[in-house]
Amino acid sequence: MNDNLFSEKDSLELISQMLRQTKRNLEVGSGNIFLYCGYSALIISIVVFGVVYFTSNSAWASLWFLMFVPNVLMLFKNKKEKPQVVTYMDKAIANIWSVIGAMFILTVIAIFVFGFYLGCCNFVLMLPLSLLYAGIGTAITGLIINVKVLIYTPLLAFLIGIYMLVALVSANEPTVFWHLYFGIAIVFMMIVPGHVINRISKRQCLKN
Amino acid sequence: MLKELNPLIHSQLRLAIMTLLLSVDEADFNYLKEQTNATSGNLSVQLDKLNEAGYIAVEKSFVGKKPRTTCRITQAGRDAMAEYVETLKTYLNGL
Repeated sequence: MNDNLFSEKDSLELISQMLRQTKRNLEVGSGNIFLYCGYSALIISIVVFGVVYFTSNSAWASLWFLMFVPNVLMLFKNKKEKPQVVTYMDKAIANIWSVIGAMFILTVIAIFVFGFYLGCCNFVLMLPLSLLYAGIGTAITGLIINVKVLIYTPLLAFLIGIYMLVALVSANEPTVFWHLYFGIAIVFMMIVPGHVINRISKRQCLKN
Repeated sequence: MLKELNPLIHSQLRLAIMTLLLSVDEADFNYLKEQTNATSGNLSVQLDKLNEAGYIAVEKSFVGKKPRTTCRITQAGRDAMAEYVETLKTYLNGL
């Protein structure tokens, strides 16, 4: 490409060619973030369920805080490997998940502060709220990238989350099985969509 | 009489850069080089010209030990592109 002046028709052709080039499909491995978080959550749910079930000590549920580890690792990885190009779609998705991440952190802080004030700090509310927050994030991501699986699979997580909230309001004690329910919800909300996104992106890449 | 096309944009490489930056939030030097097939030297000169005109913002940083140049279009750049396309339309309507 040289810097010489060119005709108006060439100019129009160049504009449409550049616009075509920036029309990006999903990159291979776009679903990996869902898989890292999804599999971490699934493993933690099984471990927490097993430990709490066999020790009858609900304090082991604090292992759920390990969920912040994969997210912090991803944050460092993203800081080290900046992408060549950031589209408006990438930015919108990143901003949505930043808000969801902030909501997670604020909820933990709020539960801690209110719990301290009320004399009882119980993080059980984090399970249903996490399902609702992450479910909203996944569904909006699905709408933006136009992948229907991501829009509908979080519905199960919503149902499980709402069931947990209703059970809490109805004064039913949360059971140890809630940890497993959470794991099942994560399979549908993050693991299945993660694999679907990776399959779609691989197919798009092979087509190009 | 037809209005003159903005000479700063009406050049093959600069128009390509502006169009690319118009359709993404930000892009680094290597991406622009790949998409435009320009040489590093030429691309660098054209980026400087657009930057001086206030049409794009250039940010130089380091990712690890590697230098990274990120470009994004400014509001002035968007306005200039909108005006350029409008003028271009008048030229094409006259054909």
